Amino acid sequence: MVMAYINISTRKHIGLQQLSSLTETGRGFLGPVKSSKFIVGEGSRESVLAGSTVRLLESLDLTSSVGQLLHEAVQSQKTSYGTGTNTLLSLAGAWSAAALRCLQQDIPISVIVSVMSEGLKSCGEEVVALQIPLHDVLGSAGDARSYPWLGTLSVIPSPLVQIPAEIPWIRRRRDGNDVSSPLSPPAFSSGHSSEFSSRFSSFSSQSVAKGNKTAPQPLQTNPIPNSHSRKSRLSHSRHFNRAESGSYRTSDEGQLDACVHPCNDLVRLAVGLSHGDHSSMALVEAAVRCQYQNAHLRRNCTVPFRFDVSKISTCCLPGVPESFSCILPGYITLVSMDHVTVIRELQNRPLRVALIDGDFSENYRHLGFNGLGNVKTQLESLTYPDKMWLDRILEILIRLNVNLVLVRGSVSEGVLERCMHNNLLIIGPVSHHVLQDFAEVTGAAQVTYATQLNEECVGSDVYVSLWRAGQLNANEVNNKVAVLVKAEGVLLATAVLASPVAAQMQAKEDRFWTCAYRMYHAVVDEKVFLGGGAVEVLCLTHLQMLVEQSQKKMDQDCSARLHMTSSWMASSQALYRPAVLQALADGWHRYLSSVVYNTGTCSSETEASTFIQNFLQKTTSSGCPLLYLLKEYNKVSSEILNSGIPSALKEASRVYDVVTPKREAWRRALDLVLLVLQTDAEIITGAEYTQLNSQNFNELLLL
Amino acid sequence: MSRVEAKKPSLCTCELLTKEIISKSLSVLREIVTSCYGPSGRLKQLHNGVGGSICTTSSSSFLFSNLSVTHPILKILTTSVQNHVSRFSDCGLFTAILCFNLVENFQRLNLSTATVIKISKHLLSLCTDYLNSESCGCRISIDFSNMKTLLCLVQSILTSKPACLLNKKEADHISTLILKAFLLTIPEKAKDHAILGKSIIIPLKDERVMNSTVLPGIVIEMPEVQLMRKFPIKKLPSDVLKVALFCISMSGDISDPGDGTLVISYGVSLESAVLDQLLNLGNQLISDHVDIVVCQKVIHPALKQYLHQHHIITIDRVGISLMEPLCEMTGAQTIGSLSLISPTSYGYVKDLCSTNFGSKHYFHLIPNDSTVCSLLLCNRNETAWNELKLACQTAQHILQLTIRQPLALLGGGCTETHLASFIRHTGINVPECILKVNDCTQTEYKIVTNAFCNALQSVACSLEHDKGKILTDRKYGHFWSIQPDFPSNVKWQDLVSKCGCGLYGNQEELNWCLLQDIHSFAPLNSSVQQATNSTGHLTLDCFTAKLHGLQVAVETASLILDLSYIIEDKN
Repeated sequence: MVMAYINISTRKHIGLQQLSSLTETGRGFLGPVKSSKFIVGEGSRESVLAGSTVRLLESLDLTSSVGQLLHEAVQSQKTSYGTGTNTLLSLAGAWSAAALRCLQQDIPISVIVSVMSEGLKSCGEEVVALQIPLHDVLGSAGDARSYPWLGTLSVIPSPLVQIPAEIPWIRRRRDGNDVSSPLSPPAFSSGHSSEFSSRFSSFSSQSVAKGNKTAPQPLQTNPIPNSHSRKSRLSHSRHFNRAESGSYRTSDEGQLDACVHPCNDLVRLAVGLSHGDHSSMALVEAAVRCQYQNAHLRRNCTVPFRFDVSKISTCCLPGVPESFSCILPGYITLVSMDHVTVIRELQNRPLRVALIDGDFSENYRHLGFNGLGNVKTQLESLTYPDKMWLDRILEILIRLNVNLVLVRGSVSEGVLERCMHNNLLIIGPVSHHVLQDFAEVTGAAQVTYATQLNEECVGSDVYVSLWRAGQLNANEVNNKVAVLVKAEGVLLATAVLASPVAAQMQAKEDRFWTCAYRMYHAVVDEKVFLGGGAVEVLCLTHLQMLVEQSQKKMDQDCSARLHMTSSWMASSQALYRPAVLQALADGWHRYLSSVVYNTGTCSSETEASTFIQNFLQKTTSSGCPLLYLLKEYNKVSSEILNSGIPSALKEASRVYDVVTPKREAWRRALDLVLLVLQTDAEIITGAEYTQLNSQNFNELLLL
Repeated sequence: MSRVEAKKPSLCTCELLTKEIISKSLSVLREIVTSCYGPSGRLKQLHNGVGGSICTTSSSSFLFSNLSVTHPILKILTTSVQNHVSRFSDCGLFTAILCFNLVENFQRLNLSTATVIKISKHLLSLCTDYLNSESCGCRISIDFSNMKTLLCLVQSILTSKPACLLNKKEADHISTLILKAFLLTIPEKAKDHAILGKSIIIPLKDERVMNSTVLPGIVIEMPEVQLMRKFPIKKLPSDVLKVALFCISMSGDISDPGDGTLVISYGVSLESAVLDQLLNLGNQLISDHVDIVVCQKVIHPALKQYLHQHHIITIDRVGISLMEPLCEMTGAQTIGSLSLISPTSYGYVKDLCSTNFGSKHYFHLIPNDSTVCSLLLCNRNETAWNELKLACQTAQHILQLTIRQPLALLGGGCTETHLASFIRHTGINVPECILKVNDCTQTEYKIVTNAFCNALQSVACSLEHDKGKILTDRKYGHFWSIQPDFPSNVKWQDLVSKCGCGLYGNQEELNWCLLQDIHSFAPLNSSVQQATNSTGHLTLDCFTAKLHGLQVAVETASLILDLSYIIEDKN
């Protein structure tokens, strides 16, 4: 056994270089106009279309340890937030390049680490000012879609995007039947339906749930928040806390308040969070409404409605026209054509349902069952035990009058066949969320083995039906049919995603989930960022200010930093601070350039970069970057909407960003870069001489 | 048919340390360990090169458990460090670096090995006597009524591991939690001897560090299926819940079937026979009015269903590591048989509730009066979480060691430089009797002392990874660092800011000089305790762990030097 050791020299940090080049490929995924990548396998000639960071990294053969760490970081962001992976990838790339430049200037690693993390922390505090509170957005979920055309804007209302003069905004015709079919007809009123609002007004503040106040909050009709919440929000802004910043007069405060418009409407929120992907977001919005209505049916509104992203499932129809995409309450899945007769038989009548949390086959045993050792059965007759088990199961199911079985695991062929003959519909595999939701509404209990079933485990009043049988052309080719399983009050909503191009199916599903998670986190956070680059621009101006400040006076309080309690680093930090902060800002600048370039309004990334530079200069020279930004973003939104739309909707069209996932993506990106930056050696354990790549052999030290 | 092969002769190697391959391996390993040391230490990526998981670390325990060193001399060293770490958790890198330095320094001396070893052992005893004495100038006593010094101790451990990826706020939060968890393990009513409870670390990966928290009692992750089941808890009149704790599998296996084949006649189902036995057990649990059944392994779904119908909550697959704390908390005895349950083996908890952290759901067993608590530890990614968990375990262990011996050594390199100054000073005038005992001349003694002190000082210097220059002061003998390219016309006083441990600043003229130029002086050792009260943050090391590390390092170095032959059986 040999242990190899690769020394990473500091000036040209290999790890950072790898990270920087690995992430280069993912920059096209940023922004509203994404460019997909074809990944072609050299040997197998197979190719994959990757439209997101996650898919890209899944398809790449990441053998290097840095690649693996990047993959881990992206996966971790995906599992925790479901969004923000593209940001993570791009910033990790931009900041690793920035860290490399710092190293070339001979800045000690410890200083880079501490100043960069401090800079990010400071920016995180700064951007709080751009948070927009959400007021009771889900309270409007029961309303009709108020501004049906808003979702069709294809222009991003951001001053960073140059809008072609001839097309102020574009209206695309929507096939209204798809999305809002189960809902009430669209209306143009901007007011709340008072019934829903009053019932759900407690949701926005959560004060009732926490028991701080006993009286429910009054109905929020005023779009501007009360003065108390304004004050507290602004107190986070450093501009108003700093004693030396005399340039900001108190009158600015009033101006700022007028510029931050809270979002209290689901449609506005959905449009703002769609980031150009209106069709996916429209489905998500419909899913929220669908869940709202069903929750309303189920709980009689005793518990405030919460949008639950886990209660959404997807059903993909590759090769089917886009117009089939929609949201339906209940669970839809594709089953084999053979089931059609059974489904027809069971249609339109209440069914009894059993839920099996495991495989539905004779040989399946629960997790942790290790068998019975070496057991041999003496056969005395020639009856097949296989049949016996099936007979027993069928007997139980028939005795309990079960017509439908939802199975979490796989279903054996024999079971399927026999059940079909007995007019029993078996659907599987389904996710545990589906089982759980049906268990909650039907009163069924999940069992591991069908033999466990008894009267108490069986649920009732479930309905199945065929969905658009005979209309889904490409599907009939695959010999499948869509079946819809419904029950009164089931929260579950299924997004039917159709794409005429089969290769785009996965990307379409991914995009839907990204939108769903964006919506979910916005609702959970109860706030969003002003999007469209505003947050990044504010970070850049803030860093600029920090750079200038640290050039002017030596910051005395930096001795309390984490990584250098007492060494010389603390005192020499002031020397390097401007350079490191500038590097951090450069990373963001590069990220923003990619975003702007990807909107398609700039011909090159350099042009985008210059454009941002100019905008930054204007922002900084305005005296109060925050106020300037808010005003600019307001101006753009109203410009877009100026053509004949009621003035009440002027703030309607905005771009929003999610708060926690975005900040977490920043932090994770920087964490990854700093982790790689501080690594000086790679130790390969347990390798044999022959396994080690001979090319790198002279860089290896063997122990 | 067996084949007889001629035995290969054993291989004997002599003149070990001068062999190029060995000295090269030693220096590579030393470089690895040295570069990891301290808060600005560099990290190492450990992986198997074929896609296995990557561990990014600077902790000795991860490093040494993953390194597969082959040479016996390296093995001696890594094994003794690992032994030290397994007993004291902390100061593994210190021990390893000191040992490497000692081996290297002693080997260069042109003295007989026996003399070197004798003198170094004498020097070690000088060190331990000094550190254990009341007059020691680099140790402070820990006052358990003052949280500040305890927090410093914990923070020093967390900040010395950069791979945890904590910022200052997060480090403060985790330190406070560790301390809180530790205080929860101290029994309220201590009799003549108090037994500390346990704090269990519950993993919560992919979450923000600030979401970490401490809860009294035990938190166990809940499987998804159980979510829907409401908590049908019925309170006993005595307002406690009865708990049965099983340490055997209740999954329906035949426990220990043996090697032979079991032949059963057709129609007999062994599986249902075992299940019947389990259901019988269920009946007993029901008639004994048990409320919660906890199983280390798996409970058969049918038994679970049966128990749920009788409003008994089942928690299975809790794992072996939770069993002991569960026994301690509930007062239950683990049940190892499916047939017989003694009524005395049941335990009690005050309440059971469900909580959510992140996207996961947990059972929370709330004790009546117990010293068991759970630390839910979050970090953003796997590798940082592992490092953080190790740091937390170390900190918990250190607190336990400190409560036994409430002392701490000044960290940040100050103890090493101070101790070196002290030893150098005692070496100026060595009494004749000591030379006689050690069988050496005054010169020999001085040479070895110098090598010993240099080794100690270079441990301190290993804290510096960015080419900074190291100074020491001639008053307290503490450790100071300055930037590498300092201007020549500036006074030392303007370059230094604080000493390594943070006790002294540059306000007082301390007569600094470069560490390598230091000559003997008597370090001042009074008033340390007073000074600690006036300073803010201190870097502290665990007294017990560091003292033991020092002993291990010197003794291992002696052992390595003393080796003259290696005889390997090549068969």
